[in-house]
Amino acid sequence: MTTDILRVDGLSTRFFTEQGQVNAVSDLDLRIERGEVFGIVGESGSGKSVTARSVIDLIESPGRITDGEIWFNDDGLAEAVADDHPEAVDGSFVNLLEVPERVRRSLRGTSFSMIFQDPESSFNPSLTVGEQIAEAVEVQRRASANPRSTRAKTREYSLGSLVLSTVLPSRKYVSEASRERAIELLELVGIPDPVERADEYPHEYSGGMLQRAMIAQALAGEPDVLVADEPTTALDVTIQAQVLDLLDDLQEETGMTILLITHNLGVVARMCDRVGVMYAGEIVERGTLEDVFDDHVHPYTEGLLGSIPDLEGPTARRAADDRAEKPRGGGRLEPIPGNVPSLLDREMGDRCYFADRCPKAMEDCLSHPPEYDGAGSEEHEVRCVLATREYTEARALPTDYFGKADRAAADKHADPDGTETDVQPERAESTVEGTGGERR
Amino acid sequence: MISDRVASNLKAEFRRNLLPKIGLVVLTAILLMALFAPVLATHNPNTTGYFDDGTSYPPMGTTAESYEVVDGERQSIEVEPSSEHLLGTNNVGQDVFSRLLYGARTSLLVGTLGTGIAVIMGVPFGLISGYFGGRIDDAMMRVADVMLAFPSLVLALALVGVFGSMTVSIPDPFVAAGLAEGMPSSTPLPGTVTLVVGLVTWVWFARVARGEAMAIRNEEYVTAARSLGASDATILFKHVLPNSLTPVIVLATIQVASVILLESSLSFLGFSGTTLSWGYEIQQGQEYLRQNWWISTIPGVGIVLAVISINLLGDWLRDSLDPNIEGEGGGAA
Amino acid sequence: MSADDPLVRVEDLRKYFWENDSLLDRLLGGEPVPVRAVDGVSFDIDPGETLGLVGESGCGKSTTGETLLRLQEPTDGDVVFDGESVYDLEGDALTDFRRGAQVVFQDPFSSLDPRMTIGGIVTQPLEIHDWPWTDPGVESRAELRTDGISADIVSVTVADDVDKLVAPVDGVATVHVTVRSSDVAGDVDPDERGVDEADGVVAEVAEDLSVDVERGDGIDVRVSVDRSTKRLRLDRARSLLERVGLSIDQLDRYPHEFSGGQRQRIGIARALALEPEFVVLDEPTSALDVSVQAQVLNLLADLQAEFDLTYLLISHDLSVIRHVCDRVAVMYLGEIVEIGPVDELFADPKHPYTQALLDSVPRASTDERERERETLSGDVPSPRDPPSGCRFRTRCPKVIPPADLEIDQETYRELMTLRERVESRDVSLETVGDDGRFALENGTVSEADVDAFVAALKDRLLGTELPARHDAVVTEALASVAVGDWEAAADRLREEYESVCERRNPALDADEHPVACHLYDAAERRDAPAPEH
Repeated sequence: MTTDILRVDGLSTRFFTEQGQVNAVSDLDLRIERGEVFGIVGESGSGKSVTARSVIDLIESPGRITDGEIWFNDDGLAEAVADDHPEAVDGSFVNLLEVPERVRRSLRGTSFSMIFQDPESSFNPSLTVGEQIAEAVEVQRRASANPRSTRAKTREYSLGSLVLSTVLPSRKYVSEASRERAIELLELVGIPDPVERADEYPHEYSGGMLQRAMIAQALAGEPDVLVADEPTTALDVTIQAQVLDLLDDLQEETGMTILLITHNLGVVARMCDRVGVMYAGEIVERGTLEDVFDDHVHPYTEGLLGSIPDLEGPTARRAADDRAEKPRGGGRLEPIPGNVPSLLDREMGDRCYFADRCPKAMEDCLSHPPEYDGAGSEEHEVRCVLATREYTEARALPTDYFGKADRAAADKHADPDGTETDVQPERAESTVEGTGGERR
Repeated sequence: MISDRVASNLKAEFRRNLLPKIGLVVLTAILLMALFAPVLATHNPNTTGYFDDGTSYPPMGTTAESYEVVDGERQSIEVEPSSEHLLGTNNVGQDVFSRLLYGARTSLLVGTLGTGIAVIMGVPFGLISGYFGGRIDDAMMRVADVMLAFPSLVLALALVGVFGSMTVSIPDPFVAAGLAEGMPSSTPLPGTVTLVVGLVTWVWFARVARGEAMAIRNEEYVTAARSLGASDATILFKHVLPNSLTPVIVLATIQVASVILLESSLSFLGFSGTTLSWGYEIQQGQEYLRQNWWISTIPGVGIVLAVISINLLGDWLRDSLDPNIEGEGGGAA
Repeated sequence: MSADDPLVRVEDLRKYFWENDSLLDRLLGGEPVPVRAVDGVSFDIDPGETLGLVGESGCGKSTTGETLLRLQEPTDGDVVFDGESVYDLEGDALTDFRRGAQVVFQDPFSSLDPRMTIGGIVTQPLEIHDWPWTDPGVESRAELRTDGISADIVSVTVADDVDKLVAPVDGVATVHVTVRSSDVAGDVDPDERGVDEADGVVAEVAEDLSVDVERGDGIDVRVSVDRSTKRLRLDRARSLLERVGLSIDQLDRYPHEFSGGQRQRIGIARALALEPEFVVLDEPTSALDVSVQAQVLNLLADLQAEFDLTYLLISHDLSVIRHVCDRVAVMYLGEIVEIGPVDELFADPKHPYTQALLDSVPRASTDERERERETLSGDVPSPRDPPSGCRFRTRCPKVIPPADLEIDQETYRELMTLRERVESRDVSLETVGDDGRFALENGTVSEADVDAFVAALKDRLLGTELPARHDAVVTEALASVAVGDWEAAADRLREEYESVCERRNPALDADEHPVACHLYDAAERRDAPAPEH
């Protein structure tokens, strides 16, 4: 019998930009079991990264969590905050949004940790990798020496301590024990010669090794939940395979829970136990891997899977070869027409957000659908009316119902196709998904 | 050349910030003063000795101390302002207000023309250097480095020494049209100084333009143009120049301010070739700073106001033209 | 050029970039270091086919694309396009090449000038090449059809320059004119360019031209282009944008108003403006979301069929390559390691690198977790100092040991890594053993400590227990290290373990499905492990 480690109820995260209010995440429910790998998959602008960041309280202005509850299952924490904030405790669960910020901050690193897409910008180029990991170890050590105190964690690596550590060797910020732990961690993530490697600077590491080092840093506090935001997107495929293997092994070894954010359905299939497919700030379909990959109901899931060129088996192109003498252009993918929608509040009507791109849009889709039980396992839920009734031509919306397919006006505000958040590291860092180009 | 996005950025930044508004108001005032100097001036700025006792009258609302010799003894007396002279008179009895207006003409003309010369020299130099790179860049940048190695004032002095102080007289349309009687019929533009400040400051434009060109030549749209068969000249004109203009414009506004300062310094040192200049006026008044503070201070305030307001506008331009800052209606970048 | 000749033939193409090559470096006497981005690449592309160039970042695939388009000057080698060497072209011939070979870039953000309108971007190639072209040698002719009117009284004049819009066949540009009486024709829109009416006669031209009809004694019909060059270019831009799936009212908008997928379509329209024969697609979809990627891939396939295009598709995405290409070349560190028909190469990859690459891609299916896969260890070596012999040998899971060694692959790999570190002296002796256990003097250990030191070092450098025979060799070598004689250690190890893979760089064999790997030449001559999959 598995227990939930994290329950998210009705989470809404909005960004208040000059263009207007952007509903990056709307009324999102999520349940993650202890020790599982839960994947959130979606295109850029779907709100998947914002969801992850909301969970570990990393939303920055102009963004704000406007509604919802995030329940974290931790006996110790429940006990510690029960006196001061009884309303935030329910059994061993604690509603993180109702406890003070310093408590939430104290959970970072020890309970939650995050790894990012771009390891290069996550490390300080002027400190050695070993030092930076040791620093993370040190912070966690102080925190666990005094479990719920938050003061220990606020002593940051200030300029003063830097100067002191240079002048007085005894005032080294990181202790010898932390250094050794850092080396252990580097070894754990498969960095060869960790002793020597610990003394090298980030620029001496390759991309794959830096990603490993970042994982080591995230593991410093032995977190219960690891949030991995596109951990392999910036990596080459052979290195991606290494990093995925590593995450798999670590998960098996430590039993930690992983929340994996990715746009790559292959990575989901490789890593996850359960999946949520996000579109326009909502999870539109969720369930076990089989539910989503084999028994999906939502046309968006269908479209996403249909968009991927197949690597194995006879492709459509080859099938066409058999039919025609001189085949041209090969087989066709079945892409989703149109572009990622605007998440501006004023442009989101009360309808299924996918209806304008959906090949099976019906009159029923003009009111916002609730989550229905899907055909698959008990876990399977779909936010689509097709779960309850068949598609019929009779109720279909006319094709030009939402105007022309190529709606330039909407694109203007949508995150342009994802490139920013998904592929190009330097851009991704500065963009929050779905906020219409608002930069930090 | 300036896209809608930039235009909307400019507007948004402008609405958000108070400072550029102040800058704009002050600069407009100075511009109007300079333009309509012959009409606004109360006296011919060159006429000396309205008062034969040698007294410098203080600005309205203030008094000054002076001495009077009575029976062979110096007695301290109080000089009342003269209603004739709004801002008083200087040490040779010229009207400070009128000279302030005419001085603004010199400063702004030298500032914009000098900067214009610097842009025309520096931008093509920098673009060519940065775009072609390699040996060409090496050679051209050494030239620029040599220029940068000299302090600009020293270089300017040396150049003025070589060329001599030459002024160009620009006929005054107001006087020609009979709208301003008794005013000087032409405004002297210190030609050498204008040329020299251009020669001294072009390197900054060259460096900025070079940096931009180096970045832009690696952009894929430049590669795309080359793959289409575009010539280097086409690429420089159609792609590199328009995309490098933003920092050049920003630099130019800031340079106008520093050129005004440089001109003042040169005038102060007596090299401008015209006496109708804020810098010259400061130099004239410095001897009398103790009793007749206004002679130097008032043109000094003129310089400070002009420089600050131009810098404020420059900051505003820089912020608005920065592609990383999105204004209203900008959309996703 | 016969029909069987390739459209593009790349012969031993090399492109090195030089580091430490500035004026200052040369003054200080630094030696320029070559970065071998592309190091001897050869392949053909046949007319109408799509060749894929696949590899990981830094393997030189994009540089290959740019160099073969002469956007970079090659260090060595040649590219023959349409029978002529690309690097010898000058003047008009070069202009023709620029017209015939185009490129679509990866980054839809940087590939469009942010200060140009979409119309400006798409008409730019037309301006550069002074389109529309007209050839005074081309004859203009009309093919007349009449309906309700006798053809004898109709005279048709065709302007000389209609070949701007009508492609001439055998030196003749033919326009098709229909003349009929108004009773037969329906309503005539006077604004429409290709139709005109006068006194009950309607004339219509099938091509995108203007027609003018007058009725005097007979019926005079004049066909002309009747639009300014600028207008023609904008009209062409409009139809190109429409063809790539963008609505046509967007000519005066700027790139930042479009999404990534739309920008990529604009880039494609620009590349097609001059009707090229050959297009290099440099990671055209890797910056796009998967659903948009699929749209663009479909578009590219349609355009290839419609305009008879030949593609070179550069991508790191194997599934895209498989979907789009006819043949694939796999690149690793500046060299092609395998090239072959796409089905064969994917179903039966020969080179260990290709095998590993295919194995590494996670499949989007529920069987993925159970799939057997062999992933590569380590990173791609630097192209500044590529490994000797076969460049893949430092990561190859099937590196060939000397024939008589009797060693399993895993142990051999470990020994190879050890050798490499000894050769590059990348072993820190100071940290061996517990704190201060061994005192080092000038990098050597005192006589008495050597044995213990070697044991400790071996323990740290090797993860597994070695068979006795190899243990002896390693111990001997490390003893040399302990006394500071790195060279002797390296020699000892090389003598014992040097592989054919590091001595000789395998060449691509001349096969239908060439592969550059010693496993395939060695299999015939020696008793090396047979290739397996």
